Amino acid sequence: MNLCDLSAFEVRELLKKRGASAVEVLDSCLARIRRVDGRPGQLESGELTAEDGQKVHAFITLSEKTARAQAEAVDTQLAAGMEPGLLAGIPFTVKDIFCMEGTPSTAGSRILANFISPYTATPAARMLAQGGVSLGKVNLDEFTFGSSSESSAFKPTPRNPWDTGRVPGGSSGGSAASVAAGEAFLSLGTDTAGSVRQPAAFCGVVGLKPTYGRVSRYGLIAFGSSLDCPGPAARTARDAAMMLQAVAGPDPMDATAAAVPVPDYLAELEKDIRGMRIGLSPDYFRITIPDPVGGYQEMPVPAEVERVVMDAVEVYRSLGAEIIEYVPMPNTRHGIPVYFVISRVEAASNLHRYDGVKYGHRTDELARDLKEMYRKSRGEGFGVQPKLRILMGMYVSAAQYSEQYYRRALRVRTLIRRDFDAAFDPDGRYKLDALLTPTTPSTAFPVENVYGDSVLMQYSDQLTVPANHAGTPGISFPAGFGADGLPLGAQLLGPDFSEHILLRLAHAYETATADADWRQRRPAVIQEAANG
Amino acid sequence: MADKSDEITKEVFDHLVDLAEFELGGDEKNYLRKELNSQLTAIRQLAAVHLDEDLPPASHGVPYDDERKPELREDRWEPFPESRKIIEQSPETEKGYISVSDIPHTELK
Amino acid sequence: MADFEAVIGLETHIQLNTESKIFCSCRADSWEQPPNTNICPVCTGLPGVLPVLNRRVVEKAVILAEAMHAEVQPVSHFDRKNYFYPDLPKGYQISQFDMPVAVGGFMDVPVPESADGKEKGYVRRVRIHKLHLEEDAGKTKNAGGVRLVDFNRCGVPLVEMVTEPDLRTAEEAAQYLIRLRQLLRWLGISEADMEKGNLRCDANVSVRPAGSTILNEKTEIKNVNSIDALRDAVNTEIARQVREVESGGEVQSWTLEWDVDAGVLKKMRSKETEADYRYFREPDLLPLEISEDWKEEFLADFPERPLERRQRFMEEYGLPEYDADILTQERGLSDYFESTQGAYGGDPKKLSNWMMNDVLRLVNERGLHPGEMELMPGYLAEIIKLVDSGAINATTGKSLLEKVQETGKAPGKLVEEQGLAKMTDESAIREVCRVVVEANPEETAAYRGGKEGLMGWFVGQVMRETKGKADAKLARQVLEQLLK
Repeated sequence: MNLCDLSAFEVRELLKKRGASAVEVLDSCLARIRRVDGRPGQLESGELTAEDGQKVHAFITLSEKTARAQAEAVDTQLAAGMEPGLLAGIPFTVKDIFCMEGTPSTAGSRILANFISPYTATPAARMLAQGGVSLGKVNLDEFTFGSSSESSAFKPTPRNPWDTGRVPGGSSGGSAASVAAGEAFLSLGTDTAGSVRQPAAFCGVVGLKPTYGRVSRYGLIAFGSSLDCPGPAARTARDAAMMLQAVAGPDPMDATAAAVPVPDYLAELEKDIRGMRIGLSPDYFRITIPDPVGGYQEMPVPAEVERVVMDAVEVYRSLGAEIIEYVPMPNTRHGIPVYFVISRVEAASNLHRYDGVKYGHRTDELARDLKEMYRKSRGEGFGVQPKLRILMGMYVSAAQYSEQYYRRALRVRTLIRRDFDAAFDPDGRYKLDALLTPTTPSTAFPVENVYGDSVLMQYSDQLTVPANHAGTPGISFPAGFGADGLPLGAQLLGPDFSEHILLRLAHAYETATADADWRQRRPAVIQEAANG
Repeated sequence: MADKSDEITKEVFDHLVDLAEFELGGDEKNYLRKELNSQLTAIRQLAAVHLDEDLPPASHGVPYDDERKPELREDRWEPFPESRKIIEQSPETEKGYISVSDIPHTELK
Repeated sequence: MADFEAVIGLETHIQLNTESKIFCSCRADSWEQPPNTNICPVCTGLPGVLPVLNRRVVEKAVILAEAMHAEVQPVSHFDRKNYFYPDLPKGYQISQFDMPVAVGGFMDVPVPESADGKEKGYVRRVRIHKLHLEEDAGKTKNAGGVRLVDFNRCGVPLVEMVTEPDLRTAEEAAQYLIRLRQLLRWLGISEADMEKGNLRCDANVSVRPAGSTILNEKTEIKNVNSIDALRDAVNTEIARQVREVESGGEVQSWTLEWDVDAGVLKKMRSKETEADYRYFREPDLLPLEISEDWKEEFLADFPERPLERRQRFMEEYGLPEYDADILTQERGLSDYFESTQGAYGGDPKKLSNWMMNDVLRLVNERGLHPGEMELMPGYLAEIIKLVDSGAINATTGKSLLEKVQETGKAPGKLVEEQGLAKMTDESAIREVCRVVVEANPEETAAYRGGKEGLMGWFVGQVMRETKGKADAKLARQVLEQLLK
């Protein structure tokens, strides 16, 4: 087996035993990248070639030199008998929504294409401090606006390693794809409406959205300030736990980073799940489908989506967990409409700073005055998705509409939160430890199939976004495959700061299904790599 | 798509674009306006949700009690070591200042 | 103006003198620094940055609120005020919109009698609408067709304090600003130097028929840079509005700027097109909770307010208003006065005279801090007692002020060492007088010839000869005899 296809935990153990060097591990990843990734995303990419269509295109910026220096440093420390950190020698990628000093930090947008950050985001800095090896920046939807990674200004945009004719999901498409394709062991992504969990489900990897405030947002180029959560994409629950251990915890640079102690996630992982109460909600087995004429239909989730979750239910039962059915989460259906309002108001405001004055794109054209400078710079620099969000945000927060739209949405958000409070209340009716749901309404859709219909695209987040509104944590883990051979995920949602429980449950499922046939499958690009 | 109500009319749309300070091409305008109105059909569903009078808004989903709230910052000067790297990011500088086009003139009485 | 009264409200922006900025750890003061050197990713609004509130900023704002008798809110919120301007790097200002840190309050502003004595002095109660916290923006300047931007000032902590429209004259407005400036320095929360922009003021002005209670359309005069400019600008605007109304016109809600060089008002922009700032709760900050426990910590040594002390000095020490005003101008000097009075125990008016004339002159000439002088309150008290008792004369007493300040030695000791005791020996004085008269035949002749004004000169000569120690009264008597 290639080094790059091991788990991060296995690599760590191997390095400790000196069974391989950090440089060898890095070289394995780099070889995989060379073989499967193809052209990195760039602004002037020209026409897409046939070959482009076969590759993953996870990267925007590959930092081979610095990665090598970091790997060599880890080897030196290991040789000297030192303990270089939790993630020592493990190559990871960073979604290009995080600022890293000295690297282009683009947010997948033309407006920041030339921005070299003078500082490093806290979660990325913590991973480096724990000995992680930074491979570079991976591609995403522009400013994380999207659920397919197709809106990036840097093309070709990432593809699903299982079938490069499909999207990897979004907005952390590059993160999930790089981990699934064996290019990196871990990736630092962000989840605002499901943007780590959904691509993880589409790409057959683990994606964790921590509790809001569990991981510092300093250095995360902001979209929805009350919704954004940095989180790991990884191959196993244990790997996700390792990474969360490295990044979680309060930060003096983030006033919303909670002062809650960080548990030992690895120690918590192996504890018994017997007697744990896992809930099922009918509201998560129904989905809303927007139709082409502006109507909305409610339908059950596709049978195959339900099946993988129900199979997981059986696994949990066999492990001694208690399954509680019919847990009402009635405000789930309001998740997307509320998201359309709240996230847009925050986005419009967060994007005000991209004005061509201090950094980023400023128009080359002669501007008569400042207003013209703003308009041309922002008009040229922003793609369609940011423009859409800015306009909607301005509309629903305008003085005359604010009460009707923005304030109302904030109040419905309280209702969404209360659904979770009721489900997880230890003195309540259900006393759940976790809620088990599908992650997405479908497997990964084909490239260009959905892009352009902004409502349809947004609704692919309908099962993940309620946890963002509530601030509660959620994890998506591989649970099987659809008829089209693409991965399907199952999702566990938990109360505030219950990441250790969610990881434990995901790990238990993984261990119990370790020998399942479906776990033998490999992404198409890796198979091809193995063959050629 | 049948327009049930074009809540965002061309006038409203143009005003929003004005506020948002970006220039748009003709194709972009049509696409954006259509999508905005489409999204509003989803948003309008919220009007039917019953809200108790005392139901408060939630700026954050997660409550911050005294134990979760981080401390306020101590009043200490800690200079950022590379301030020139910040200014170097600007498209145009002049003697340490950032330089931009002038502001449209103010009226004189 | 007999038919009209002016209705004026003031909005002040006060830069707090904390060590660091409100949301980041850059310095709060960078008046002298080269452009864009006192900056960091946070205050320049780089992608991905977050604000973190400075605890001391809150404390200073609460101290001001207490001093203004305002109600500090146990919970207040920050909001984003969204608009585009090059000196506003994030494209929004973090401020407080509907739930500010304090509401209500007042200041009883003494308005002195008019220069011509026709209008008596009185007190105007100015009520406060609210106080809130916000961050300052950067600075821009025009330079040959481009605008140059400096972010040094971005993020400096500001308290915005808005009065109710309780002021009725430009003079009242000026006095409010004077008292506010004094209070800010007294409390030690702001340097309050208007020239440096530590204290900025906008005035809202309208007029109405005298005695009416309706509020008419108002104009806003922005960025007045000095007390005098405020007085002039408000007076000019009142006159303009009255002219407008008297000629049948309507006052429109313009925003105006005072051109201090030309002495005229200029229109800035029409308020009708004022931006919709789309205020919403700042999601990067948590609600600000100010507990009683926390308040107790930093309000423990809350001082007596300057106007209260001024009143007390008049009542307790029987000082005239003029004296009380000067002696409570500045907190250090005022504390010094009280300490000295405690040690002196004599007539406070006497002490006041010493303070207002010679001590204040010493302090000002040498740029001294009263609290840090070598001339400690106890020493000043001693000097005055020595003069009172006749051990030294007044001239010696005054010169002792400097001597003590320079040497740090006790007055009594200096008198002893330098032999400064008043010369009262009549025969010794007589001898000196005789020498002076003999040495100056011309002046003697002139005096005897009728120039009686020369007596002062003769006394001065005797004082010079005796190095100031002679009893001046006695010397005069002797000279009068000798020059008869």
